Amino acid sequence: MRDYVIRRILGMIPLILIVMIVSFAIFSMVPNPFAALIENPRIKRSDIDRLIKAWGFDLPWYMRFFRWFGGVIRGDWGPSLLYPGSSARDVIALALPVTVRLMGIEFLVALAIGLPIGILSAIKQYSMTDYVVTVVSFMGMSMPTFWFGLLLMMLFSVVLKRPSGMPLLPPGGILTPGLEEASFWVKFLDRAQYLVMPVIVLAFSSIGSWARYMRSSMLEVIRQDYIRTARAKGVPERSVINKHALRNAMIPIVTLIALSVPAIVGGASITETIFNIPGMGKLIIAAETKADYPTAMVGLMLISILVIVFNLLADIVYAWIDPRIKYS
Amino acid sequence: MDNREVLVDIKNLRTFFYTEDGVVPAVDGIDLTIHQGEVVGLVGESGCGKSVTALSIMRLIPDPPGKIVGGEIFFHGEDLLKKSNEEMRLIRGDKISMIFQEPMTSLNPVYTIGDQISEAITLHQKINAVEAKKRTIEMLHLVGIPEPERRYSQYPHEMSGGMRQRVMIAMALSCNPDLLISDEATTALDVTIQAQILDLMRGLQKKLGMAILIITHNLAVVAEMADTINIAYAGKIVESATAREIFKSPRHPYTYGLLQSIPKFTEKRTSEPLPAIEGMVPSPYHMPKGCSFNPRCPFATEKCREEEPELVELAPGHMVRCFHPIES
Repeated sequence: MRDYVIRRILGMIPLILIVMIVSFAIFSMVPNPFAALIENPRIKRSDIDRLIKAWGFDLPWYMRFFRWFGGVIRGDWGPSLLYPGSSARDVIALALPVTVRLMGIEFLVALAIGLPIGILSAIKQYSMTDYVVTVVSFMGMSMPTFWFGLLLMMLFSVVLKRPSGMPLLPPGGILTPGLEEASFWVKFLDRAQYLVMPVIVLAFSSIGSWARYMRSSMLEVIRQDYIRTARAKGVPERSVINKHALRNAMIPIVTLIALSVPAIVGGASITETIFNIPGMGKLIIAAETKADYPTAMVGLMLISILVIVFNLLADIVYAWIDPRIKYS
Repeated sequence: MDNREVLVDIKNLRTFFYTEDGVVPAVDGIDLTIHQGEVVGLVGESGCGKSVTALSIMRLIPDPPGKIVGGEIFFHGEDLLKKSNEEMRLIRGDKISMIFQEPMTSLNPVYTIGDQISEAITLHQKINAVEAKKRTIEMLHLVGIPEPERRYSQYPHEMSGGMRQRVMIAMALSCNPDLLISDEATTALDVTIQAQILDLMRGLQKKLGMAILIITHNLAVVAEMADTINIAYAGKIVESATAREIFKSPRHPYTYGLLQSIPKFTEKRTSEPLPAIEGMVPSPYHMPKGCSFNPRCPFATEKCREEEPELVELAPGHMVRCFHPIES
């Protein structure tokens, strides 16, 4: 097992390099952002050429890659093109906590609700509970987040008001301006208000899929012979489900959970846009469309590394809960 | 035989399955008596209701779609069908236990076999984990598993089918049940392993003295093991007698047909095909009127197509459900 993990970790290095090269190559298809400046009569041609040269857009993409990669090895991920004056790493470092806070809470909420209702819906298959869970799950999965987000905003920020006349929940943003220097708890409560709606929107769409995964995995397990064996030896129904069925049903779910964790960093661009949250989803899309390849690459590498690491973690957890799996 | 105390007395048991295509009377009036320490065979083709009878005794009929709609199952003089779920749970695995057809899937893959057996013990007996482990190892030893201490911490996938069935037997017998139900327990095994398991069961029965209900479609299995044999057809018992009687002088045309279709080594090889019972088991949705065997019976008369025969005692202890029993 230890050798296996070491081997896998060593295997990650070339993998990450390949991901780097391929994504850099794809980014280089975005048109040179300075070329359009030629249309602007107030900018001198020599200035444009100087910018193009400084950013390396006069070189073929692989040469630009080597130049950029040389910096990366020294720990310098390059300047951000989108936010002149900041380094790409600093730009990401600002957006990352915002997104992790939102997506992390959303992820935990969705699991905490989705998995139990999935189990319930499986052990009471074809009951009223099951039908309600199924209908609500599909509603959540099929409701577009931008639309549901707007509906919530209508309700919590337009229809419902506080006695002071302010909206019940702030319609967008992450923190009330002026509270940046406030104490931890004041900021905590303030942030929480901004998170309610986006968390509901995102969780509602993923609760459904978690519930469906859990339900089908559980249904698969509870008709197995060993569940009948457990009942035949007099195991109470509660332990039949919690001990004998759940551990087997969790095997595929745990894998799925581990593989979904990197999405926490990726952010949710649509919801972030609706609620005006300066998170990773919005940032990476902006960076990609504006040829801010240093910023986009930092974000992308972060996500890629997490995907690769969590793939390994999924495999390790898999072996831990399923004794039939051995790595050598 | 009959001076032994009655352990199980099933009277007119009826278990139906309510499916989308209609009602399936899987068990439609089964009568069965098991004395203490007796080995009883229940023989019949697939779909004749043998397994459903066993699961009805255990009260493990999946509901929905199944339901025990009538009859009584007396165990030690008390009707199991009148017991609460909790009372029934305490009986399962303690006083009545069961082993199943598929040893490969009847054990929970994520727990060690030691855990699974000692769980059965601690559920029904007030003993601590150390004693339960000791008892489990004793049981493993008793069912002929070599190196029981090492096997204790192995997982089911590390064992062969025959070994797993031994584990199932150890689990079933760990609380000294009064009745062991073996539902096609040897069907899925190789012939040599089958013989070993049957040997083991016979030996354990002599040693521990529990009654066994052997459910099988294989007459050879019961010929070796059973004191009494019940032949089931389409949800009813059609003939019941001592094993000797059944093999020596079958009275029901169905029993006769079954015995005829067993190849005999004593006879000279002929080019004649083996006699088989004509036709097919009737569809449970369209039971024939009258005797359910009449469409396949060579002796069927008008009466058989109109009326349903009762189970009558033709000779002491020899019950037959037929208007025209074969002369002995």
